[in-house]
Amino acid sequence: MLFRLEKRREPSQLMRYLTPVAAVVLTMVVGAIIFSLIGYDGIGAVREIFLTPLTNSYKWQDLGVKAAPLIIIGVGLSIAYRANVWNIGAEGQYVVGGLAGTWVALATHGLNGPWILPLMVLAGVLGGMAYAAIPALLRTRLNVNEILTSLMLTYASVQLIYYLIRAPWKDPMGMGFPQTRLFAEAARLPTILPGTIVHLGVPIAVLVALVAWFIMSRSVFGYQMRVVGTAPHAARYGGFSENKTIWLAMLVSGGLAGLAGVLEVAGPFQRMVPGFPTNYGFTAIIVAFLGRLNPLGVIFAGLVMAITFVGGEVAQTTIGLPNAATGIFQAMVLFFLLGGDLLVRYRVRRVHGAAAPGTA
Amino acid sequence: MDASMPLRLQLTGITKQFPGVLANDNISFGVKPGEIHALLGENGAGKSTLVKMIYGIMQPDAGEIRWNGEPVVITNPKAARKLGIGMVFQHFSLFEALTVLENIALGMDGSLKSRELEARIREVMHTYGLLLDPHRTVATLSVGERQRIEIVRALLLDPKLLIMDEPTSVLTPQEVEQLFEVLRKLAAQGCSILYISHKLDEIKALCDTATILRGGKLVDTCDPKQETSRSMAEKMIGTGLRDIVRAKGRQLGAPKLVVSRLSTHKTGHFDVPVNDVSFTVRAGEIFGIAGVAGNGQNALLDALSGEILGDDKEAITLDGYPLGLLNTTGRRKRGLCAVPEERNGHAAVGEFSLADNSVLTARDRLGMVMLGLINSGAAKTYTGKVIADFAVKALGPGSMAGSLSGGNLQKYIMGREILQRPSVLVVSQPTWGVDAGAAAAIHQALVDLAAEGSAIVVISQDLDELLALCDTLAVINLGRLSAARPVGEVSVEEIGLLMGGVHGATEASNAVPA
Repeated sequence: MLFRLEKRREPSQLMRYLTPVAAVVLTMVVGAIIFSLIGYDGIGAVREIFLTPLTNSYKWQDLGVKAAPLIIIGVGLSIAYRANVWNIGAEGQYVVGGLAGTWVALATHGLNGPWILPLMVLAGVLGGMAYAAIPALLRTRLNVNEILTSLMLTYASVQLIYYLIRAPWKDPMGMGFPQTRLFAEAARLPTILPGTIVHLGVPIAVLVALVAWFIMSRSVFGYQMRVVGTAPHAARYGGFSENKTIWLAMLVSGGLAGLAGVLEVAGPFQRMVPGFPTNYGFTAIIVAFLGRLNPLGVIFAGLVMAITFVGGEVAQTTIGLPNAATGIFQAMVLFFLLGGDLLVRYRVRRVHGAAAPGTA
Repeated sequence: MDASMPLRLQLTGITKQFPGVLANDNISFGVKPGEIHALLGENGAGKSTLVKMIYGIMQPDAGEIRWNGEPVVITNPKAARKLGIGMVFQHFSLFEALTVLENIALGMDGSLKSRELEARIREVMHTYGLLLDPHRTVATLSVGERQRIEIVRALLLDPKLLIMDEPTSVLTPQEVEQLFEVLRKLAAQGCSILYISHKLDEIKALCDTATILRGGKLVDTCDPKQETSRSMAEKMIGTGLRDIVRAKGRQLGAPKLVVSRLSTHKTGHFDVPVNDVSFTVRAGEIFGIAGVAGNGQNALLDALSGEILGDDKEAITLDGYPLGLLNTTGRRKRGLCAVPEERNGHAAVGEFSLADNSVLTARDRLGMVMLGLINSGAAKTYTGKVIADFAVKALGPGSMAGSLSGGNLQKYIMGREILQRPSVLVVSQPTWGVDAGAAAAIHQALVDLAAEGSAIVVISQDLDELLALCDTLAVINLGRLSAARPVGEVSVEEIGLLMGGVHGATEASNAVPA
């Protein structure tokens, strides 16, 4: 007995939007079972990870702060993935964006003025773009798969942080710690709600998503991304160059990852530290898919993933769940999401005996 | 054929319902042993559904199939082959990189030693005069030769009924004649043939009986030799046919599209590039390019539309303006529009709405873009006009292109380009798989566009279409274009020989010694 996947004639649009919800619910159920089986309080783990961040109003500001970079990077990735450009290295572009912003902050240390932050942001975006340009160049010139190059460059970027904060950028007053000095006031992202940690990056994230949604649904640029990703042959016939599209997709997704990086370093961190790469760039891949590659959906998906980050921290202290549990839950969301998508597009048919090869 | 013999195949009250459409409505007819029986109908008439049920790919909702007088249930193609039903599909399933022998071995139900298989293949080829070298790679074969592989594959099972789905749509006239010889021989030995086609002349020449379907219902079973092509066509379409109307005393204008020494580079392993092609199309002229599939038509269309760029800007000129180095957008802005052969995924995006598909090629000529933003209102209005003017059966501009039938999608695509009033229109296979009614509408629209002074290039494998439509004709073979000739001065045989060109020669030298 064999199973065979058959393409459905018309995949249900409703199911397409229900799949993310189902994936999250399945993750909770299966997660509770798995953690119970290995000796933890499974139901407690799910409650702490998925519900406490929502029910405890003190955690809301954390949600916003964690969701902001996920949304910004997720929006960029959703645009690139629409064009079938698989930028997996947003984490690296996020790091280089953060480093570029740090460079401006350190270079302007001792100066003052409202121009410093915008300059840092610009440097961050350009840094992310530049780092994404490497896979784009390799892909368009030498046809090297961008999945591999962008992923590998992530690890190179982490080494770059270690080098910079151990030697040239090391804080002279830091008592030997590998980190830069604390940014000056002018290089820090202001908080927008007094008494909270909610910084300017949060509204920027929502704004980025709204602008991206408008551009993707109304502009020729968005049309180009969609048509190249859906039907590359038709795109060429329509006058859209594939190489140009790869460049645009890589630069936009890299630039937004760089933006997230500079906002993180200037906001929550306020200095460059070894712990700066926090896997936002990888989690944003899940965010992009969970949000159905739609910038508005990415806002909600970013919040869901932020919940698992915040809840993971809660669960560590309250029920002693290891930090890796967060990653397991996030991975389960992606797994069920992709599995669900497959079932929306295909039906599983049982085939008895050896499948007839057929002459058709 | 003894009248008391049971019918080879008898269908009684066959009915098949799909969501929203009754594909076959109470169909009953019989096929006698050794009979060549035509199944005639427009696209969507239900021919494919019917033969799929005979071949076991689908099950009827109601009705009975009798095989040699016995009621049978054919659960799958393997069961059909076991009964003795063979089928040759319109689209071949062959691996280009493998040899003829390897391809046939892969499709066999049972396993057979390759030496025995080869012996049997040679025997079948010898019996039916199918010339083919079992050791040649499929990629080097012409379409007609590829079809012979499929026929041999079916004949190896010693079928009592052979179903042929639109077998001649890709063949040269000579290849058609050879195919008919094989089929007549088969029929003489008692094998029944169910021959699906919409080419009426062929049915008249070949078939003993014709069953005509329209809209899922059986309209008539007749003797094609007693009918005229026109009478059968009218039964098939249901209304009187319209002829192409041309203005009288038409004068061709000044040269509009001038192609000189156009060549393309080989892009893929099995692609045929165009080689040193030159021709001129004048204002008001319809210029036909005939040829067997796979002789460089795709490369020629891509080179003309701008999807493949050459090295010489003067290789293609429109009203003297060099287009050779412009991409498709640049050429459209100068007035050259094109329609490639493949509809879904090339000329249109199935997953997009029709309005979004209009943006694909009409955005610049019709001002659908302002400051980088798409004016979706303008796209919808234009799409609505295309749907109305070309009688496209679609719910509206918001319908997904992929939800349209092949013929309707083709009408939409042709309409989308023609209503842009291009000064040069290049189309490939404008009526491929389109029913006769829609084909007539598309032909009329092309003639009308030419009458307004546009230059039109039609690349087609359908010679009847080209002869009816074009003023001038040239033949493409292995990427080279023959000299252009006025249609009135050239015979079908001459064109057929040009189409067969080099293929005919290699075929003779590599043929199996029978």
